[in-house]
Amino acid sequence: MRIVVCAKEVLDPDAVNNYALEGRLVIGDDGKSLTQSTIPRLMNAYDEQSLECALRIRESGVDCSITVVSVGPGSPDMLKHCAGLGADEIVEIPVESEIDYHAVAAILAAYLRGGEVDLVLCGRQASDDDQGVVPALIAEALGMPLITIARKVEVEGNATIRVVRVTPDGDETVEVSGPAVVTISNELGEPRYPTMQAKMKARKRKPVVVSPAELSLDDSAIAAKVTMVKQFVPTVRGDCEFIEGTSPADKAQRLVTRLREENIL
Amino acid sequence: MSQTTVVVCSWGQKGEMLSDEVRESLTLARGLCESLGTSLRLLLLGGLETAAVEDAGAYGAANIDLIEDEKLEEFSPDIYLDALAQYFAARPPQLLLFPQTFEARSLVPCLAGRLGASIVMNTVALEACGDGFLATACGYGGDTRVVYECTAGAPYLFAINPNALDAQPAAQAHGVSVDTVAVDLSSSVERVRVLKRAEAAEGPRLEHAQTIVAGGRGLGVAANFRLVEELAEALGGMAGASRPIVDDGWATPAQQVGLTGKITKPALYVAAGISGASQHMVGCTAAKTLVAVNRDPDAAVFRYADFGIVGDCLELLPELTKAVAGQG
Ligand SMILES: Cc1cc2nc3c(=O)[nH]c(=O)nc-3n(C[C@H](O)[C@H](O)[C@H](O)COP(=O)(O)OP(=O)(O)OC[C@H]3O[C@@H](n4cnc5c(N)ncnc54)[C@H](O)[C@@H]3O)c2cc1C
Ligand SMILES: Nc1ncnc2c1ncn2[C@@H]1O[C@H](COP(=O)(O)O)[C@@H](O)[C@H]1O
Repeated sequence: MRIVVCAKEVLDPDAVNNYALEGRLVIGDDGKSLTQSTIPRLMNAYDEQSLECALRIRESGVDCSITVVSVGPGSPDMLKHCAGLGADEIVEIPVESEIDYHAVAAILAAYLRGGEVDLVLCGRQASDDDQGVVPALIAEALGMPLITIARKVEVEGNATIRVVRVTPDGDETVEVSGPAVVTISNELGEPRYPTMQAKMKARKRKPVVVSPAELSLDDSAIAAKVTMVKQFVPTVRGDCEFIEGTSPADKAQRLVTRLREENIL
Repeated sequence: MSQTTVVVCSWGQKGEMLSDEVRESLTLARGLCESLGTSLRLLLLGGLETAAVEDAGAYGAANIDLIEDEKLEEFSPDIYLDALAQYFAARPPQLLLFPQTFEARSLVPCLAGRLGASIVMNTVALEACGDGFLATACGYGGDTRVVYECTAGAPYLFAINPNALDAQPAAQAHGVSVDTVAVDLSSSVERVRVLKRAEAAEGPRLEHAQTIVAGGRGLGVAANFRLVEELAEALGGMAGASRPIVDDGWATPAQQVGLTGKITKPALYVAAGISGASQHMVGCTAAKTLVAVNRDPDAAVFRYADFGIVGDCLELLPELTKAVAGQG
């Protein structure tokens, strides 16, 4: 079977967070992009876990090929990393201008339509836009069922896909006949690192480049539906009242007293 | 703009009152309807208690569109999608707003795909602008806000973040007319077969808890999560957790607070050994009072807190439990 993992490169969310918390996250003159040029670009963590999921399916004995595909301004390092981890095929779909997530989904759907595919794995959301819509848009475009927020995916007989989902009420087990789109959540567990040897070998791997023009998409399919016009950093309150005291017991008592004074307790 | 139809859509409204999330979406939609000079509809799938009709009117809905079918009794993604697509074909609204529940997180983007609609998730504010709309959503787990301009033409779908705003009843309650909308789901098939349902834990839910004590990696080891549970119990509240300690199995996924966990709105939230990453804080900043305990005086969590104690949570949690119980 063929498994396709959709991977997005994003600004490191922890670095963004650190800048934000230090009050140093600055939006550029265009009013929308982050100016910090030192923030590294990384593979969206949930997409790393999607690849990990694909690798585990292969290790469970399923005869499969794994393709990683990315739409974006170019992310050769990320794709080489995927090759080092065991992806059989790495595919880059370069886009020059800023396109919205509807267009990304249309491009990915067109790419997927062009070849055999039995399972599409995506991250539950991208850590930059937090939207979590691309997998659903792909599923609908291809008429495939969608299963979201998976912690475990098993494949039986190349066609039955069994998924343990993380729901607010606990784990749910569902099953679907493939092909299907499944989104992966962090509960899947830590993704592995490539071995030194695999990493060296992957350095020479070049992604297959597919241009959007080859995908016979008409312009209307990739016209932006939602356009980011502004991005800003919300203010955080920063007026904490610190409770001092001579010992942990004293501090605890003083806090409880304050909360009682304010009728919070 | 020609007359715009604004619909808030929900399901699973089994109580006599609408859920907080629905009320919040109605509040947000009502503001929009006022600026557009149009009236507000509430679309409900499944069933509806008579008392909830009045509640809908109190929050500004003029009409309820009700879709009932035995196949809609339990949430089922494909069936619900078919029902919504049929509703849409029968009476296409320009704007559909959804409270962003767990189920809506998957259903709404699928509906957007089915209808070819524009979609924005995590919406916290919405305004009309020329021929379209400006939707403000969270980015980077809450570190930024992104304003999206949506002008591609109807339909537009927006999922509204829980706690994006406070639910406010309308100045004047509406009389509500209920329209039953017929759908034919006889040929609708659910492709996703549920083999084992999640068993909803009995009792109160974290997202409705009035008091939450949450622990993070600062607890050091799994066994110390007990200290969080003990303080929660002394306060008559519930225990919550940051993601890393859920990942490590110290707490359950149902206890995770944050962007990819529960969005809570308690009267009191105590964060112990939690650094204050935006992805955690979006799940608790709606708390009325936030208390932080962290040994690092520069921890980000203090920037969100009303009250803070700098110190070791392993020492402070038991002392707080004692002080609350009045033996301090
Ligand atoms: C897309 C995405 C989604 C995410 N979703 C969520 C989510 O839903 N919920 C969530 O929580 N996180 C989420 N995260 C992770 C988030 O970014 C942080 O990594 C996480 O919240 C940090 O957890 P923590 O505060 O427990 O641990 P840490 O960041 O390791 O902080 C531990 C804190 O404890 C303090 N400490 C250590 N020892 C003690 C002690 N003895 N006494 C007192 N204080 C002590 C330290 O000073 C530190 O501040 C998400 C991340 C991404 C990228
Ligand atoms: N540019 C992209 N290239 C490849 N996959 C993507 C891209 N954007 C989004 N995805 C996939 O869709 C998931 C959800 O993204 P989003 O809907 O943007 O939150 C990601 O985790 C990826 O699996």
